[in-house]
Amino acid sequence: MLDFFDVFLVQQLLNGLAQGLVYALIAIGFTLIFGVLNVVNFAHGEIYMLGAFAGLLAIQVLAPPAFAVLLLVAAAGLVLGVLLERVAFRPFRRFNDEASLKSKALREATLLSSLAISIITRELMQLYVGADMQSIPQAYLLMTPIQLGPLSIASGQVLIFVTALLMFVLLQWLLFRTRLGLSIRAVSNNRLGALHVGINVNHIIIATFAIGSLMGAVSGIVVGLYSGNIFPQMGFSPGIKAFVAMVMGGLDSIPGAVISAIVLGLCEALSTDFVSQGWSELISYALLLITLLYFPRGLFGKKVERV
Amino acid sequence: MFAASQYHKALIVAAFSSLSLSALATPVAIGYQAPLTGEYAQYGNQFRNAANLALDEYNQTHKAAPVVIKFADSKGDALEGVSIAHKFSDDHSIVGVIGDFSSTVSIAAGKVYAETHLAQLSQTASHPDFVKISPWQFRNIITEAFEGPYNARWISQNNIKKVAVISIQNDWGQTASKNFAKSFKDAGGEVTALESFNPGTRDFRAILTKVARTRPDAIYLALMYEDGAALLQQKLQLGLNVPVYGSSSMYEKKLIQLAGPAAEGVKISTTFTASSKEPNVQAFVKTYQARYHVEPSMFAGQAYDATRIMLNAIAKAGGEKASREAVRNALAATKDFPGVTGNTTFDPVTREPAKNLSRLQIRNGDFTSVAN
Repeated sequence: MLDFFDVFLVQQLLNGLAQGLVYALIAIGFTLIFGVLNVVNFAHGEIYMLGAFAGLLAIQVLAPPAFAVLLLVAAAGLVLGVLLERVAFRPFRRFNDEASLKSKALREATLLSSLAISIITRELMQLYVGADMQSIPQAYLLMTPIQLGPLSIASGQVLIFVTALLMFVLLQWLLFRTRLGLSIRAVSNNRLGALHVGINVNHIIIATFAIGSLMGAVSGIVVGLYSGNIFPQMGFSPGIKAFVAMVMGGLDSIPGAVISAIVLGLCEALSTDFVSQGWSELISYALLLITLLYFPRGLFGKKVERV
Repeated sequence: MFAASQYHKALIVAAFSSLSLSALATPVAIGYQAPLTGEYAQYGNQFRNAANLALDEYNQTHKAAPVVIKFADSKGDALEGVSIAHKFSDDHSIVGVIGDFSSTVSIAAGKVYAETHLAQLSQTASHPDFVKISPWQFRNIITEAFEGPYNARWISQNNIKKVAVISIQNDWGQTASKNFAKSFKDAGGEVTALESFNPGTRDFRAILTKVARTRPDAIYLALMYEDGAALLQQKLQLGLNVPVYGSSSMYEKKLIQLAGPAAEGVKISTTFTASSKEPNVQAFVKTYQARYHVEPSMFAGQAYDATRIMLNAIAKAGGEKASREAVRNALAATKDFPGVTGNTTFDPVTREPAKNLSRLQIRNGDFTSVAN
């Protein structure tokens, strides 16, 4: 038994925490968009993938310092978010009457249009850049080992931790301390009401997409450089995990999604250690199932204010 | 009334004769099913490139009876593979089928070909059960029942006693790791861990940490090069310094490009070496590179040979007059067919191919032949 509490277990916990933060990074932007629009944006995983490719393109063409890569990717994410909203969501937002806002058909239509955009984007990328993984210049790879005694973490894990923390704090500040945040929360709470008090709902929705996608794109390049994998299908699997984290967290609670994502990552690493990697996904989905059975509104659905 | 029915009769006769005429006019075809899109698209596209190369070479020397290849995209999905198998079986211009890529899809489609009596030759399916489906299944790749023991002997010869095995969790990966582990134990070695991961996994740190705890002398990998590249990088980052051996599926230039210094020292067995001095390999590498601007991998070599074996069987079975059964029998009679992945002979009873393996090691960013 004592063997379990060895250095390898601590290393395993570190691995799990890093993996959970990867899911959390994607889940933050994902949950923000859901919280405001009350509709799942299935193209978030593709924004993440496009962010990684935008970063790789910047590296290959300009070879800028790493910090500039992040800024360029953030800008690309912003533009992609606005585009995504224009193509997949705006066409279904023509009516502002109460019946349309509550219409399930309209919600499902945007869900499917974002799914369609996600598939088209992925396949087009595959057509133009190929399905192969892209090789990343060694200088940019965030895999420099940092030794902590017998433990080893990668420089990318530190960056992921810092990015996730920064995104989380900035978003909480934006939502609860700024005028834009107030408007976002108002739209998320009651779109019709927000419209009546003179908030430009369209602008707020576009801004939400831009912020959420910026975060998605930045996570894409950070994770891409840390894992050494950039390829058109890369957004799919972590996108699903972020979705699970969002549902477990209560759909519109960002702290809930972050905590659930970290729990998922830790569970995966520990189930790999004690059972086998083949079981880790089963355990993630079992956790989701248990949550939904016993906490139908998610772990943090009720306790936390919307958004 | 009488006139009308005679008119109908004439129409039916005309329809039938035009049908048989069109059947004569259709060129003989090979059906090629492979993942052209989806997660394994890069393999399917290499197969298509290599097959087109082999086909063009064949059609240049057989201008009187040209053959065409009909490609179908299985997306690496067994369900798609089965519907392609139905489509190919119904297409009477097709006298033989090549594909699919993975054993899972090949076996699913193979069950259809077994019923419709259409010969199927897979360039890569190495699961032992594949050729056991029916007498209509063939493959020109050595199976894990051969490669596993070969690698196990290789590792024990290098005085390594404890090996951890990491494999991909699919039909192929499971047989590859089990065959290896069994023969390594038979050779007196100890398997410290037998780990497998779900396809699509990108983070191998948890598995590597688990493997590190068992303190192996070496790690044996039965997986595809892309997973291998990520795993090797993460292994380097975790500071796990043990030698790595891999199955032939990792032999790919891209492995070195992706993994960089992390790939140094990895040892791999293979049937095909692009740097081989054999004149036919050199000719293939040269034309492939001229046409597609990339060095052919083992997968391209496998597909090139499979296509040539199939074309050879069609020619022997009567070219444009070849029947499906004649093609199958000509395939079964394939003996010492000279290919870029070595000579292929199908065992008359098991239809398993006999081939040779060679040893490679990654040194200074390139694959080099090694003796041990």
